[in-house]
Amino acid sequence: MYSLFPGKHGFTLEAWRAFVHSSVYLSLFWKSVKMSLIVSAVVVALAYPVAYYLALSGTKRKYVLLLVLIAPFLTSYLLRVLAWKVILGDQGVLNTFLFWTGLRSHDHPISQLLYSRFAVMLVLAYVWVPFVALPIFVALESLDRRLLEAASDLGASRRQAFVRVTLPLSMPGVVAGFLFVFIPTLGEFITPSLVGGTSGYMYGNQIVDLFGTGFPDWETGSVLAIFLLGVVAALTLVFARFSQIRDVAAS
Amino acid sequence: MDGRDLTARRLRREELLKLAAAAGGAVLVGGPTAAAHAARTQLEAESGRLQVLDWAGYGNDGGQSMFAQYVKKHPGNKPQFTYMTNESDALAKIHAGLSPDLFRPYVGWVKYFATSGLVQPWSPKLIPNFKHLNPFMVKAGQYNGKQYGIPDDWGFDAILYRSDKVHPKAKSWGLLFDERYKGKIAWFDDLEMITIAGLYLRFKNPWNQSDSELKKSQDLLKSKKHLVRLTWSSETNLWEAFGSGEVWIAYAWPNDWVQMKKKKLKVVYMHPKEKPIAWVGMFMLLKGSPRPRLAHAYVDAWSSAKSAKWLEDNYGYGHANTVARPSSSDLLRALQLTNPKAVTEPNAHLDRDIPRRATYARLWEEVKAS
Repeated sequence: MYSLFPGKHGFTLEAWRAFVHSSVYLSLFWKSVKMSLIVSAVVVALAYPVAYYLALSGTKRKYVLLLVLIAPFLTSYLLRVLAWKVILGDQGVLNTFLFWTGLRSHDHPISQLLYSRFAVMLVLAYVWVPFVALPIFVALESLDRRLLEAASDLGASRRQAFVRVTLPLSMPGVVAGFLFVFIPTLGEFITPSLVGGTSGYMYGNQIVDLFGTGFPDWETGSVLAIFLLGVVAALTLVFARFSQIRDVAAS
Repeated sequence: MDGRDLTARRLRREELLKLAAAAGGAVLVGGPTAAAHAARTQLEAESGRLQVLDWAGYGNDGGQSMFAQYVKKHPGNKPQFTYMTNESDALAKIHAGLSPDLFRPYVGWVKYFATSGLVQPWSPKLIPNFKHLNPFMVKAGQYNGKQYGIPDDWGFDAILYRSDKVHPKAKSWGLLFDERYKGKIAWFDDLEMITIAGLYLRFKNPWNQSDSELKKSQDLLKSKKHLVRLTWSSETNLWEAFGSGEVWIAYAWPNDWVQMKKKKLKVVYMHPKEKPIAWVGMFMLLKGSPRPRLAHAYVDAWSSAKSAKWLEDNYGYGHANTVARPSSSDLLRALQLTNPKAVTEPNAHLDRDIPRRATYARLWEEVKAS
């Protein structure tokens, strides 16, 4: 192995070599990427109509509604995540409702709701919806309404005006919102450790475990962390570039 | 290290002069007993709060009765706690800059820490209750003839299951890998799972597996991971999942059995035919601790018969103090508290040093990541 500083604690690329040749860590990273992509896409899809209504419906109470939307941020992150355990557990609100309706028997609750990949994605989506709604709201708020009037005057239907005018002009907000979710959820470890069980284990959990609860392996942990940092930085640059191009095109 | 070594190391010249003056004055006024008392008082004037790194449930979060004697004697120096989830976590915290005066790894880590340069031996003479501790466990806390670990709590790693839901085919660690109970099993988040796989696979020495054995152990765990609902790292995680019915079978400690019985669940704490793994908690004194006398006083409090009985009655663990007896005869039988060698063969495998600990840890991390 290459070593720049020979000695017991010298710099070595051994941990990088092991990382690149380990299918385990890269598979886990890919699994986390897929989970984060799904969460980000779902969150954007949920947040866009909310932001659209607040920005373009003309309601006078839009700032009050916006405040309601971000109100969960006034409570603890942990509390919001833990609340889902009460809802999703075998004896939780959802299963109890199913028992009550007779759709499930007490001996056969839906177990996949908690300690699963689904639970992690559901909770992450819930936690991040307001984060995404805000940048989209800002993008839609700054939209020049005369463009929509012009589209209408030129014979565009409401759907066409949305697809050809509103959506392209709100893309910087959508991209920003997408990134707001994708970047932190890719390295997420608290939510998976609380509601993920073994199947919801993510790349961020592995980094934490390598530094802490596992027999400390800071070299491998550092490699995993630097790799994540590099990927996130590269993605941010790409998205930023993409966003700028759209801005230019829109203007 | 004995008491004299501690004295010499901790006292500067002016402190020694003050001590001599105090002792001399006391001899004139009250004789030799008062002199010893004055010296002790002076020596015990260690500044700063005692820093303890311990497991959840053993600090101000429910374990107060265990060190009540210490708090009574040192009301002005109540211990301050940081919690550890396992020994690796403690090691990581210490490497990251945490400086507790004492902490509690288990018996399998005595050699590791004794040779790590992070800890120093205790002075048993400064622990009056030391004479009541189980000699077998005391010996297990020694390395190169020095007392690096003071034994206190002990118990087993075995299997807890719901008897109304689970019907084991055999009393075996294999219940943790039983396909019939997919999604209802909990493992422990620790490299010990590699050892347990080795026990199940009947390897000669599960604590020192060869490369091929390690691969078989890891392959077993990877192939059975899909059955596992969660790997727990804190008991509260387990109690929550087990208590609410999410999990029916778990790697567990005696206290978990006690807690689930309190919830009126039908539970069995099964000793597998491959034998459970027995553990003994070992208080260790960090090298360079600025409060060694207080640390000794704290450990002495934990070692008293009163504390031991409280631990047995309330946590369902055994205690190294051989004088203590729990109120429950069930517990007395289950833990074989009258058997001084309950923690070893033929009853159980006493946990021991793992020479390739880093390899075991890496393989376990890979199982979790797989």
